[in-house]
Amino acid sequence: MSSFEVTWAIAKRSLILIPRVLSTFIPSLVMPVFLLIAFSGAFAGLVNLRGFPADQMLDWILPMSTLQGCAFAGVTTGLGVARDLENGFFDRLSLSPAPRGAILAGPLLASVLRAFFPLVILLGLGFIAGVNLPGGFLGIVALACAGFALALVAGCWAVGMALRTKSMQVAPLIQMALFLTFFLSTALMPLELLTGWVHAIAQFNPMTSVLELARQGFLGDVAWSTTWPGLVALTGMIAVLGLFARRGLP
Amino acid sequence: MSMVASHYLALSRRSIVNTIRQPISIVPALTFPLMFLALNSAALAESINLPGFPRVDSFLQFMVATTIMQGALFGSIAAGADMARDIEGGFFDRLIATPVARTAILVGRVAGAFTLSFAQAWIFFGAATIFGLEVEGGLLGMFGVALIAGSLGAGFGSVSMSFALKTGSSEAVQGSFPALFIFLFLSSAFFPRELMTGWFQDVATMNPLSHLIESARHLVIGGWDTGEWLTGLGIAAIIFALGILVSGRALAGRLAESA
Repeated sequence: MSSFEVTWAIAKRSLILIPRVLSTFIPSLVMPVFLLIAFSGAFAGLVNLRGFPADQMLDWILPMSTLQGCAFAGVTTGLGVARDLENGFFDRLSLSPAPRGAILAGPLLASVLRAFFPLVILLGLGFIAGVNLPGGFLGIVALACAGFALALVAGCWAVGMALRTKSMQVAPLIQMALFLTFFLSTALMPLELLTGWVHAIAQFNPMTSVLELARQGFLGDVAWSTTWPGLVALTGMIAVLGLFARRGLP
Repeated sequence: MSMVASHYLALSRRSIVNTIRQPISIVPALTFPLMFLALNSAALAESINLPGFPRVDSFLQFMVATTIMQGALFGSIAAGADMARDIEGGFFDRLIATPVARTAILVGRVAGAFTLSFAQAWIFFGAATIFGLEVEGGLLGMFGVALIAGSLGAGFGSVSMSFALKTGSSEAVQGSFPALFIFLFLSSAFFPRELMTGWFQDVATMNPLSHLIESARHLVIGGWDTGEWLTGLGIAAIIFALGILVSGRALAGRLAESA
């Protein structure tokens, strides 16, 4: 079998597990949906702040919760690797003549494919709830690019951690790191309205650029100036965390 | 001291000592709310300038009551998980083989949940004070908030114990956490109700946790008010009574199964 065939077979196995072990997949969808409802409802008044760039909180929160859903898709794939390590499947895979790179690429491809579900479901809910999309189709493309790439980033991070700890117990640590990366950026407020230490961190947090890339079509037109920083941030994160995952392989 | 009272005391002591000896089990109940407090206080600092926002010194002052109640909710899950571990490890079966008063099994854990939430409230106040919190209600206000938190922790602790008694699984108890999280988020815990709109505002208004947190918050941002304190404590007492009712039934069910 070629590397690609092995990669596809491993990714397919991860996708088949979705209906078979629904309990591991559903929370990764429910949480972003809940955060979309809770944040756009609870913080609805924030749009009245001078300088807030959205007309309604839904426009600001929807891209963020969609990206969270995509990141969770990567995390659940990584946790699948941890489960395979716990029950010995990964060891059997390592002993097979399958190319090393494909053993890693399989779950990562699955991360990206799994991100399709939160992307479609959250966007669908957003349209039902009346989200604005002045950027049109290009806005959706920008969000999808950010979402798929972020699923890959989260997948690299989760798989790397799973390979190092070989235990499902690493789940809270994986999720906490993602949670902090999101909320120490412009997840709730634009950079101009952040103050103090959160502003200092958000300025340099790559997630700020990724959120800008994903949000632009929901706040106005899609422009290159708000696209390239996000693409650079995502490329950098994929390179660093991809290496982190690769070096975790036995 | 009567025999029943000594049982209550012994099992309450065991529950509290358990918590002190295994601080790792309460780390999430302390760290997560503090992390939310730090993040929200910094990220939403500007929101206090919104028209209609209650008069506060900082978002930290607005948020601290929420943090304390959040800690109580986290702690209540720990109470249920401890009970489930007693069942999984066989301690529960050994306990009911003794002539111990059956109600003491619940009272012990409830007392533990109350003590944990009450003590946590002071820790949260202490941590927030370092970052400039001023409690308008003074020491009496802090004591009032801590009492509400203790009662809420005991109430949700009882609900959590009913999960433990019904399922006998600590995983199932931990799995009930998102329900509490949702309950908290669909309230005015993180933002004033006056600044919400539409159906979300209606849900937050119907959520008793909104009124409990607003009462506790009033003691922090508005000063001591007996009426507000009694409102908060009253809501916590109702939750506690309902919790005791469901956990009592769950205990009776498990005892009947074991008989």
